[in-house]
Formats: sequence, C-alpha cells, structure tokens
Amino acid sequence: MKKLVACTAAVCLLAPLIAYGAEMPVGSIKTVQGTASIIRNRTPIDTKAGARVFRNDSLKTGADGSLAMVFRDDTRLSIGPDSEVAIEEFLFSPAQGKLSFITRLLRGTAACMTGIIGKLSPESVRFETPVANIGIRGTAFAVKVDDPGR
Amino acid sequence: MRSISIALFLAHALLLLASCAGERNVVVLLPDSDGKTGSIVVSNQAGSRILSEQKQATIISSPTTSPTTPAPMDDEAIRKNFGEALAVLPPPPIHFILYFKTDSTDLTDESRRLLAKVLPATVDRKSTDVSVVGHTDRVGAREYNYNLGLERALLVRKMLVYLGIEQGLIEVTSHGEDNPLVKTADEVQEPRNRRVEVVVR
Repeated sequence: MKKLVACTAAVCLLAPLIAYGAEMPVGSIKTVQGTASIIRNRTPIDTKAGARVFRNDSLKTGADGSLAMVFRDDTRLSIGPDSEVAIEEFLFSPAQGKLSFITRLLRGTAACMTGIIGKLSPESVRFETPVANIGIRGTAFAVKVDDPGR
Repeated sequence: MRSISIALFLAHALLLLASCAGERNVVVLLPDSDGKTGSIVVSNQAGSRILSEQKQATIISSPTTSPTTPAPMDDEAIRKNFGEALAVLPPPPIHFILYFKTDSTDLTDESRRLLAKVLPATVDRKSTDVSVVGHTDRVGAREYNYNLGLERALLVRKMLVYLGIEQGLIEVTSHGEDNPLVKTADEVQEPRNRRVEVVVR
C-alpha cells in the first residue's frame, strides 16, 4: 500500500512538469467546416472546434472544407478549400527570449492575422510557400487589447 | 506547380496567400479591423518585394521567378480568391487585464469585477483555451520578474478555478518583464506593466 501511495505522489509531481514541458499546445481550432482535419504523425485525427493543435501538426481541407485556429500569441490563421498548412515551429516564451513562428502553406489559400510574436520580434515570423517566403517588416504598433469590461 | 494564395494580416495587417485563377500564386496584404496596415516582404531566390499598402498583391509564378511588382487587388478578386478562408478567420482573443493592490495578493476592486466576466466569455466563445500570463515592470532582475509574474498568474488561475473554469483548460505562464504594455528603460517603475492577463481564445 505504501508503494501505491508513493507512486501516486510521483505522478502528481510529474503532472505539472509535463504541463509546462515542450509539448504545450500552440493553439486551438476555432472553426471546422466540411472536410477538414488536423494531421498528426501523417494521420488525420478527429477534429472539432476546441481541439488542441501542436507543433508539427498540419491542417488540411478537402474541396468543401475550411478551418480556422488561434495561436497562443493571438495569431489567427484560417485556410480555405483544398489547402494544407504545416505548423513547423512555434516558440512563445518572451521571458526566455525564445520567439519563433514558422508556418508553411503547401497548397491552397490561407489568411493570417499575425499576433504578439510578430509585434515583439517581426524577424522571427516566417510564412513559407513552395514559391516564395513571406517575412514581416518591423512596424511600430501596439498590441490590440480588447477589454469588454470597459 | 500547385497554386498558392496567401492573405496576410499583420497584427495590424492581414496576409492572404491564395491560389488565384489558373496557375498563379499570389500574396496580398490587407489591413486589420482597425484599418491599419503593416508591411511584409515576399522573397525567393530570384528576388524580393515589399508590400506596405493595403490590398497590394504580388504574383509569384515559380520559385525561380521574382515576385511581380506589387499592384492593387480589387475587392472582388480578394473575395474570389480568399472568400472561404476570410469567412472563417476567428475574432481576436479577448484579453482581461488584471491589477493587484500594491504589495498585495489581492486584486483591485475593478479587476475583481473584470475577473467575473472571464467565465461568461469562455461560454460565449465556446473556448477550450485560456491562458493566464503574468507580467511585471522592469524593476529588478529578469529572472526574479519571471518568477514574480508566474506567482501572480498561479494566484489568478486559482481564482478562475474557484469561479468555475475547468483547470485543465487553463495554461499558466509568465512573460516577466519581456512583454510590456508600455515600453520603458530597464529599472523603471511602470504600474501598468505589473499585471496578469487572462486570454480567452
């Protein structure tokens, strides 16, 4: 019995470490329409609004699909039909000086409203495509803060 | 060649990548909801173009062909290329900015009232994704400020869980002094930066 208690305690101690570890989600799905899913380890997974998205996931839609997500840094990304976008890198730890955001559109259409990483470190944001890469030029702007309490 | 289209909105600009009619790849820069426009650079091995005005677009026919000189794209073409993607672009996450009483672990009265609005906001947005982020000003060492921010963020999470938000939905982190609302020099007191932000996505 003592052993069991010890094991349970160890699991409890580990849980927060896992939560703060490298595999923190990069964001979550907000809208799924038609044929659309997250691809994880090359396999489509059941994708509903609210699903967590991780680094190395791809988002893929069929001819009738569209999909939208929000990242932890407030970046909003949506894709239209017959599209595929890969989340290649997402680091959002300003206090550790770790900022990086690389996505790759393989085909189709995408709309992206950049967020806090783009504000703090525009050079750390890159949107790649098969024909060209898109970078952000430093622009002086304050982050938008929506406060419904006012 | 697969066709690609991108619409990019920067924090104050929107980027759209889109597959135009035919075998074309196009990037268009759009303003954000405030009407402000940022700027982007579109580049490949053959050249690079800066887009800095709203609804400017550049076409890239191949990885070895320079992006075209930026030219305006009309609303009809934007709608045709990006309509479906733009239609589902989510609203911006809501930020609740909370302040503590000086040298205290109690929220100010105003922030306490604001905290009560977090749960309704998560229900309203069907959100499964809430962050609690601690921030400080630049007085003191960077690491100390990271820990201070984390401590306060953990306190706010406790309050949110008490108010009925599922703990598993809440991510807690600290940006210490490195993501200020108001930029200052080091060691400058700035009460507006000593805050905890609750972000509902």
